[in-house]
Amino acid sequence: MKYDVVVVGAGIAGPIVARNVAKAGYSVLLIDKKPAIGSPKQCAEGISIKVFDKYDIPYDRRYINREIYGARIYSPSGYELELRYNEVSGVILERKVFDKMLAYYAAKAGADVLARTEALDVIRKDGKVAGIKAKHEDEPVEIYADIIVAADGVESTVARKAGINTYAPPHEFDSSYEYEMLIEGFDPDLIHLWFGNEVAPRGYVWVFPKDEDRANVGIGIASDHPQTAKYYLDKWLKENNIPMKKILEVNVGLVPVGGFVKELVKENVLVVGDAARQVNPMHGGGMAEAMEAGTIASKWIVKALEEENLSLLQNYTAEWWEKDGKRLEGVLRVRRVTEKLTDEDLDLFIQILSGADAEKIAGGDYVEVIKALLTHPKVLMSRRRLSLLKELL
Amino acid sequence: MPEKIRVVVNEDRCYLCGGCAGVCPALAIEVHASGWEFFQDRCIGCRICINACPVGALSAEPLGVKE
Repeated sequence: MKYDVVVVGAGIAGPIVARNVAKAGYSVLLIDKKPAIGSPKQCAEGISIKVFDKYDIPYDRRYINREIYGARIYSPSGYELELRYNEVSGVILERKVFDKMLAYYAAKAGADVLARTEALDVIRKDGKVAGIKAKHEDEPVEIYADIIVAADGVESTVARKAGINTYAPPHEFDSSYEYEMLIEGFDPDLIHLWFGNEVAPRGYVWVFPKDEDRANVGIGIASDHPQTAKYYLDKWLKENNIPMKKILEVNVGLVPVGGFVKELVKENVLVVGDAARQVNPMHGGGMAEAMEAGTIASKWIVKALEEENLSLLQNYTAEWWEKDGKRLEGVLRVRRVTEKLTDEDLDLFIQILSGADAEKIAGGDYVEVIKALLTHPKVLMSRRRLSLLKELL
Repeated sequence: MPEKIRVVVNEDRCYLCGGCAGVCPALAIEVHASGWEFFQDRCIGCRICINACPVGALSAEPLGVKE
């Protein structure tokens, strides 16, 4: 088989690349090792409503479980901060349908798509990566391509075999565990987040509603923590008297929350999405980041093919770092500071912010958040708190 | 001297999520659609994979000490 571009992995970034490149008229093959694209998911399924227009994705009820109007944040001692919009701010997706539909959009744009096709290694010719050795069911397949896109998730098999350094230290990953379950008593128009060093070390517990009484209930904790994510989630459910007898799914995965890949391109191989560690380090969401990276990568793939100049692919690294990379490094800095917060700090900060300008906080204006915190006497009187907050300005 | 270990998986717990392969600095684990694979000759005994597994599906069997 020979294509202009082969894309390995049909999560979020892969189908976006495949769709955009196929739309420009080039031959593309999108492969995924799973028999059903999108399943199993490794995701809490929440995403901002802005992405649909921005990345030209239909707002299709087939994969939108629920519209969300904001968030409620809970401190370790139970103080609450509610950020509620009058309009829909995000949605909870059904990833199993969404991912498959993204692959469908790629196929409709002209790409070939092969599920249950696992990339095992790269093919090298004259020292250069010339394609992918794969397996479709039990049949070996050789796929040759001018450009190879590694969108193969956290394990990044293809990227690493192609010699792209995707290594990140263990502290730059979250271990994540989630139930889709029946759960009652939480406002289904909001996502709910619990913070605390005893609740979820470095991370948080989430409830993302899919129905009035059904939600993704999950946790992310630092992957170098001695206890497992499952241990902490089960503990939280037990302590909150939430029955665990209506579990519809169990989802497991590792989430990169830092350690962004420096060189996103090696000759004719590009890495995108989780494989490139392109995830928001604060909340661990990576779908919007994958869409952005996929969009930038596909733009430079098309230009490189048009001008028959593969060195143009290097512009993907430059443009991603100039746009999203710089922003995410800033978010990573915030995450590293928040890791130093005690439960007492979290209680105090959430108390202070619940009386502050919720609109600005909801808009993600970190400077306004920090300013609101810095004016409080209990912050002003603590040298440690002052110093932590000033690190963020 | 680093301890030499064999990483083993409890298949009943493992979800084949690929996380252990993602954090392994030595490419000593591959997670395929059909199963989990460990490459003893590449393992550096760092135990990062064991800690990172969200469900505790991995453990180590000691193999002695490297020269």
